[in-house]
This record gives sequence, C-alpha cells and structure tokens, in this order.
Amino acid sequence: MVVLAILQHFIFSRLVILGASPDILAVFVAYVSVIIGQRTGIVFGFSAGLIAGFLSGNPGLAALIGTIEGFISGFFHVSPESHPTMVKKRRMFYFGAATSIAAGNFIQTLLSNPLALPAWVRIPSVLIIGTLMSMFLAVLIYQLALKKILRD
Amino acid sequence: MNRRVNQTNRDVLSIFRFIARHSAYLFFLLFCGLSILIMQLQRKETLDAIRVRSTELNASVSEQFLGFGDVFSLRDENDRLLLQNARLFAKVIREDTALRDTRDLNGVLKRDSTRVGRFFVARIVDRRFSPMDNMLVINAGSSDGIEKEMAVLTPEGLVGRVTAVSQNYARVMPVINKDFKVSVVSDSSGTLGVLSWKGGNEYLAHLENVPSSSRLKVGERLTTSDHSTFAIRGLPVGRVARISGSKLFSDVDVRLAVDFPSLSYVLVSSAKPSREKLEIMNGGETKHEPGRK
Repeated sequence: MVVLAILQHFIFSRLVILGASPDILAVFVAYVSVIIGQRTGIVFGFSAGLIAGFLSGNPGLAALIGTIEGFISGFFHVSPESHPTMVKKRRMFYFGAATSIAAGNFIQTLLSNPLALPAWVRIPSVLIIGTLMSMFLAVLIYQLALKKILRD
Repeated sequence: MNRRVNQTNRDVLSIFRFIARHSAYLFFLLFCGLSILIMQLQRKETLDAIRVRSTELNASVSEQFLGFGDVFSLRDENDRLLLQNARLFAKVIREDTALRDTRDLNGVLKRDSTRVGRFFVARIVDRRFSPMDNMLVINAGSSDGIEKEMAVLTPEGLVGRVTAVSQNYARVMPVINKDFKVSVVSDSSGTLGVLSWKGGNEYLAHLENVPSSSRLKVGERLTTSDHSTFAIRGLPVGRVARISGSKLFSDVDVRLAVDFPSLSYVLVSSAKPSREKLEIMNGGETKHEPGRK
C-alpha cells in the first residue's frame, strides 16, 4: 500500500490532463473491496487515503475519499461462495472501480478547490476525465496482473 | 423472573445481530468520522509537524526526480549567476524605493527605505497546480534562514509567501491561489488595493477595494505596499490590464509579472515588515492567519 501511495504521489498524480489525474490507489481499494469484502475495503481505503494524504499534505480529505471508495465498491463484492466466473469477477471489478472512483472524484471536487476553478469546469474535468483515466489504469492493471491472480 | 432474563438476553442478542448485519455501515461511519476528525485536527500543531515532515520527504524525492536532468545543465554556474542577480535585484529595489521616496517629500525622512534585507536563492523542487493541491516547494529551509511568512519572488515580481518550513525545504503558497491576498499600491497614481486571484487564467489577478474615483490607469505598475503583513514594500506584482467601472468600486484586472508555468528559481526575501507595525495593524497582538495580506 505504501509503495502504491508513493507511486500515486510521485508518478500518477503528475499525469494531469485538464486538471484530472489517474488514481491507482482507488483501483487497488476497489479491487480489495470487490474481491475480499466491503469491511476490508473500507479499512484499506481509509489506510491508503491516509498514507497518500500524508504525502500530499491533506490526510483527512484523502482518508475520507478512500473510505467512501472502499464503501461504494463493496456493494459490488463477489462472494467466493457463489463460485463466480472470471467474467463476473471482471465485470464487478470494473463496475465497482468506476462507481467508487467517480464518487471519490466528486467528493474531492466538492471539498477541495485550491485553483478556484468554476464548478462547471471543475466537476466535468475531474469527474469525467479523472474517472476515465483511472478506469484506463484499472483495465491495464487487470489485464497485466489481476487476471492472473484471480485465476489462481 | 426467568422470562425477564430471557427477554433481556434476546434483546442483547438482537443488538449483536443488528451490529453483525450492518457492520459495514458502522465501519463506514466510524472511518468517515475518523477522517473528518483528522480534517479538523489538520490545523493543529501535531499534524502541522507531520505535514512539515511529509513536505521534507516529498520535496527530497521530487528533487531527485527533477534533479536528474540537471546532470546536463550548468547548475553551479546558474546558481552563481542567480546569486549575483539577487544582489543586483536587492540594489534595484533599494534604489527604486529611494527614488519613490524622493518623489514624496516626506518619504525620505519618515520611512526606512534601506530595509530590503537580503535574498536567498532557491530552486523549485516540486510544484502542484491541480484541483487537489496548489503549491510550490523550494529547496531552502530553516537551516538556510527561511522562516514562515517570508515573501518569495523573482526579479520579475512577487511569487508568493512561505507557509511551512522544514529543515531543508519550504512550502510556498503562490499568488495564483485563491487563499492568497496581498496589499498593493500603484506606481504613478498611488492607488491602494488588495490583490487576489479568483481562478482561471494564471496570468491574471484581481484588484479589490479600488474606488471608482481613483486615478488608476491601464498599464500602471503595481508594487507591494506598506500595508502588507508579509512583504516589504516595493516588490513588483504586475500591471493593470483592464479597468471596468461600477458604482462604488472599480473592477480591475492585473496582469501578473511572474510567468508561473516557467518558474524554476526564486528568491526568498529575508526582510519582513516590522513586528511593531504588525502588532498595531492587528490591534495590539500579532496573529498568523491564512488569508493575511
């Protein structure tokens, strides 16, 4: 988690396009929440947000966003007892990641605006572009690593 | 009696069952509460110290990232030239202020025009202009003599003010931050106002509290005034770009002197307005508020 927070802070948060950047921690939290469970997702979201927040200087807000992301993606939890197929796991992971990242971005735009951007610029740019960038990252991570882990 | 005990047991069990069934919601509320508590505590000194340490860590890693390209650049030569530039800039400011004071007959006698202090040269090692964060980190800290509330500038103009200092790094709130305010005065008409940035264009700021009756003209240069609580007077800030009238106060756009996107080196001014003056301005006590001018 610490490695991911460092990667997020020093690499991914610098890939800013129209004020938005991808969020690898949100993808990780969504994965934990969907595969392991909502409670674990909340704890991981809070911890990941806290670590990332200490690096960026805003631990409270980052922890709150992480908690919300863990909570929301937990609604897409795939129980192992239901013997889910790979397609179901993938679908739920994508749905969970997209919903939780969008919610996290929305909360962020509402509670933080140091560039004083007007709402009609801030909300679409962070919400749409930020979510799309993070989802691109989620697809990439799924295809490169998570697919193999879930199959095993 | 037995029935009553059974009833109590059943009640307790149902509470536990409720908690088990809704534990995710309780977890969510608990961690949201914790996050909000941290958000509130962020203003306290303990977390302030943690933030200073994280700035130090953040800046030292960022410096490694940015410093990679310096292998090919003449950094030492650059530093030497910047130091020289800083000395010359201090001289220009001193002479500029003295010239302005000479124009004002009472100025030379009443004001201490030589209080420009000295300038520290610092390199920007991290910058963030995103909706989440808007700050600069420079590679000069308390060990170099940097203190909170010092003015940060370039020879072109004011960059911002120091908001947090660690041993080797300092965090700077730039002029293009909605929480930044500075008291300015125009060069020829002597109009006073408070400069702030309201978002959008990073080259344009806004001048507040300018009465419609003022003789302010487009193109006039604006410098920091005596009313500023962190900057010495005479630091260039920008030029008046547009004046549009209203009933009582004019709407003034200011083109900032500093080109923020291309900023790489800055000067930190060691001179500060006198403590006595600040005490009087704050009504007898020195306060450090986020929106200070």
